Amino acid sequence: MHTHVWKQIRDREGGRVHANHFANSIKSYRTSQLQLANHKDIVSPHKGAINSLQIDSTEGRYLLSAASDASVAVYDVQRSASAASEAAAAFSKHRCLFVVDKQHRQAHKYAVSTAIWYPIDTGLFVTGSYDHHINVWDTNTTQVVVNFKMPGKVHRTAMSNLSTSHMLIAAGTEDVQVRLCDIASGAFAHTLSGHRDGVMTVEWSNSSEWVLVTGGCDGAIRFWDIRRAGCFQVLDQSQTQFGRRPPILKRSTITKPYHSQDSSTKMRGAQKKHANGSGSRQHPIGRVPSKGPMKQRLHPGMLSTQDRATAHYGAVTGLKATEDGMYLLSAGSDSRLRLWDVQSGCDTLVNFETVRLQINKPLQLATTQDSTLVFVPCMRSVKAFDMWSGNTYTILRGHYECVNCCWFNQQDQELYTGGNDRQILIWSPARSIDGEGPAEDQDSWSS
Amino acid sequence: MGTEEGGHGKGTKVVSLIERATNSTAPEVDPRLLKAIKTVVRYSDSELRVATLTLMDLMKRDHSQVRYLALLIIDELFMRSKLFRTLVVENLDQLLSLSVGFRRNVALPAPPAVASVLRSKAIEFLEKWNVSFGIHYRQLRLGYDYLKNTLRLQFPNIQANVERVQQERRERERRSKEILLSKYESLKENSSSIKGGILSTMDEIDECLDILQAKQECVSDDILDSDEHGDFHSLELQQLRLEALKEGEKVYENSDNTVVFDTLRELYKLLVAKHLISIQEWISVLIRVEVADNRFRDSILKEFIDIRNRLKSVKSKCEEAGCLLVNSSKHDEEDFWEEGNVVSMETSSSAPNNKNKHLDAHENNNDNLGLHSKGSNGSETDGLLHQGHKVESDPKRSKLIAEAPVVRWGSYLDNWGSNRVFMANQRGLELDSHWGRVDADAVIPADKIAELNVHAMPYEEKKIEIQPCLAPLRKGGLCQRRDMKLCPFHGPIIPRDDKGRPLSHSSLEDMNMDLGTDLVEQIAKQAVKNIRERDQEGAKKREIDKQSLKRAKLAKIREHNEAVLRDAAMASTSRSATLGEDGELTNEDKLSAKEKKQSLASMLRKKVTSKDRIAEKLLSSRARVTSDRQHVSSEDAKYREAFPNQW
Repeated sequence: MHTHVWKQIRDREGGRVHANHFANSIKSYRTSQLQLANHKDIVSPHKGAINSLQIDSTEGRYLLSAASDASVAVYDVQRSASAASEAAAAFSKHRCLFVVDKQHRQAHKYAVSTAIWYPIDTGLFVTGSYDHHINVWDTNTTQVVVNFKMPGKVHRTAMSNLSTSHMLIAAGTEDVQVRLCDIASGAFAHTLSGHRDGVMTVEWSNSSEWVLVTGGCDGAIRFWDIRRAGCFQVLDQSQTQFGRRPPILKRSTITKPYHSQDSSTKMRGAQKKHANGSGSRQHPIGRVPSKGPMKQRLHPGMLSTQDRATAHYGAVTGLKATEDGMYLLSAGSDSRLRLWDVQSGCDTLVNFETVRLQINKPLQLATTQDSTLVFVPCMRSVKAFDMWSGNTYTILRGHYECVNCCWFNQQDQELYTGGNDRQILIWSPARSIDGEGPAEDQDSWSS
Repeated sequence: MGTEEGGHGKGTKVVSLIERATNSTAPEVDPRLLKAIKTVVRYSDSELRVATLTLMDLMKRDHSQVRYLALLIIDELFMRSKLFRTLVVENLDQLLSLSVGFRRNVALPAPPAVASVLRSKAIEFLEKWNVSFGIHYRQLRLGYDYLKNTLRLQFPNIQANVERVQQERRERERRSKEILLSKYESLKENSSSIKGGILSTMDEIDECLDILQAKQECVSDDILDSDEHGDFHSLELQQLRLEALKEGEKVYENSDNTVVFDTLRELYKLLVAKHLISIQEWISVLIRVEVADNRFRDSILKEFIDIRNRLKSVKSKCEEAGCLLVNSSKHDEEDFWEEGNVVSMETSSSAPNNKNKHLDAHENNNDNLGLHSKGSNGSETDGLLHQGHKVESDPKRSKLIAEAPVVRWGSYLDNWGSNRVFMANQRGLELDSHWGRVDADAVIPADKIAELNVHAMPYEEKKIEIQPCLAPLRKGGLCQRRDMKLCPFHGPIIPRDDKGRPLSHSSLEDMNMDLGTDLVEQIAKQAVKNIRERDQEGAKKREIDKQSLKRAKLAKIREHNEAVLRDAAMASTSRSATLGEDGELTNEDKLSAKEKKQSLASMLRKKVTSKDRIAEKLLSSRARVTSDRQHVSSEDAKYREAFPNQW
């Protein structure tokens, strides 16, 4: 490894390599070296399965975990609090900075299914629980500042990293409707209806602050523009394309209408044509409703609710948008992983070699910054797949029960995984120098 | 890299070694094989990799014994090789699930006894590994933590136990040290008083001795004077005289000095019982105690040792002077007990001897009784005594002794020939609340006693030494078989000389004639039997051949099926791939280690007990049907008999 790195550093010194490129190559090299960290332990205070993990996006330092025993904890992954006392130990133990469990007056009653940081700073975090509540917490006082009562168990919450104009928490619950909770007002700002079953996952787009993607137990993945009524796109597993980009022709015919602002008016026009019964062109979104009176009463924006296309057989359990927002990964209870081209809405037909995925819980996937690897919890192991070929890059084994969530720390190139065995494991690039342990690990053959 | 490529060819060596080691029903791995595995693996990383793979494959085998032996090998290598550790730790959860069997859907395979041993051993090993290498391998810590804190498995906790024991020992040592120190402190404070007590006692003893000495001197003087007159010339006599003089110097207790002796004895007792012991104790305390300032300790230790030496010398002086009396009384006691010992020993071991003496005493009074008794001491141990007696006793008696039967010694001899009557209630048992008449003086008449005491003796066969055959062997030497009449190799046993030649021709021929017809018959029988056996073996072999052929065919078919299946599974998962490999491997194993496999397989088979056999017989459908029929027919018969006019 060293010769490789030294050469790059020399190249960088000589100006042959661009700074960005240099950083990226180092990062990707480190990412490719992931293994179970021996120098860092997270001491999990949870007594139940870990359901959600997230590193704050501002400092990349504080890990937020939510567990089934209704507890939420925050850890510092860079400095271990007890370093002074255990300086002699070969590995540092990271105890939680604080834990909100059932002893807390305002704690959740049932399993906490999701916990996310407020994207702007670490002063707030949001938790969603099976007790039908979404709480917004002040990190410093660990008090609830805003509380939302949902109609059912909360499966997943999400906040947009890009948003500059709204503070909306998207919440997927047992209910068919996706609700957007406004922290500023403390009320529901939107109710997005379209799914025919509970919503397992929600994910904000990485390219537009207005676009929300939701995956439901009905197997549908819906794209919503929160400024408009109804969803504007439903992914269909039967619409496929081979490779990363669709052919130019197809793209122009199919995906053009939904892009610019004026395309929406066009669509409405087309919809009207349909309503008049004169449209002969196959509409890409809605299947043509056959009965007259029903469609006439529908608001044009709600027409997409008629679209029954599915992205997976069974429920959609996990969604992850790539960093550039161009592609979307989805995991389903059919043990399939699909990579969708957001632009065309087509399955790119990448065959990920998954074996089995957990089906009854929402899964949290993770991608590296440059979107080359995707980490997927596959039962007891976490598999790293090459995003574009679907080949298994490496299998990370360490958990003794099913893994529920993983999070990739872009800053330190570390992966955090949490599972039903109550452990939070750190996977970090191999350390070359760690010879300061109390006793060196060596061969000990007799005689 | 290059070595690894080359290693594949060599890898088979360690594979075959491991397979041989695990192909056994023994509870441990053959140490020689284990050593061979270790040496092979030690010098070649590629072999080690192959070994790891093989062992993990063996852990997947559907037989707890194989897994158990594989686990033992894994432990051996794990404790030694770093590379092996890193390789095993990668798949630790799999290894644990295969050895501990903690997953509900992956239970441990068949022989349940071995499975439980495997499980406990695996847990023990995991703990050991965690203690020694946990700090280097997060996976070990994780696995240990999971089994302990999540599954709550019971770990033997060896390390903690050892630590606890050590802690206890340290605690005990600390406490004893404290006690020593406190003793030392107290000694520091009152050492002078202790010393004073001892010294005063010693002074008193000295005074007593002086008094005695003084008295003696005046007496001994005139003894010496009188001795002067005698003439002792020779050297021996001189010596005798000196000894006598010495003896004379000793003070003897008499009415004059009895008071002094009493005091001396008292003081001596005090000295031995108290001071000597206490000073020994103090010395040991001083030796063991650890203090910062050694000067005081050393000086006082020196003093104490001096005192002890003085004490000893004083003690010996006392003993010389006559406190031996105290001692001698003690000796008397000991002697008494010793005597008792001797008696008991005699009664136990050489009782016949004793008996004999007794009877000899009786002999003079009652000749008749003596005769009986002589008969009784028949045991050969008394041979010598007999000889001695024979000389003095009359010829009639010796004649009688010659024809008297030899009787074993026993308790019944105590009242041999006595015609005493015995009390029925000999021990004076009180029979309270007995409603019947109680005769306290009831006696058992002598003839009844004799009847009760009739001695039974087992018949002892005379021992005959069976002569060895002694026929000359082809490789030299003589046949050492001992048979009564007929050696199976050399025919009838006849007297032979030291080279194995028969002594008398005629007898041999006779025997031959006798046995001739027999031999012919036997040989014929043997021949028939041999032929039959050979036939049977041939048949068996043919059958085995047929079976192996069949098996080979089946294996081929299975392989083909697997290949087809694998091809068919386009979306092949890694699991299915390993499944196929697994099957192949077991097939190979079967071929390579067939005869041993059977023993392993036999462990899996359920033992058929007699109960099972009976159950099989009784519960078979045929037996049930017949019993039913019998039941019905007997019922019919009964009915017909009861109501003869109704059928």
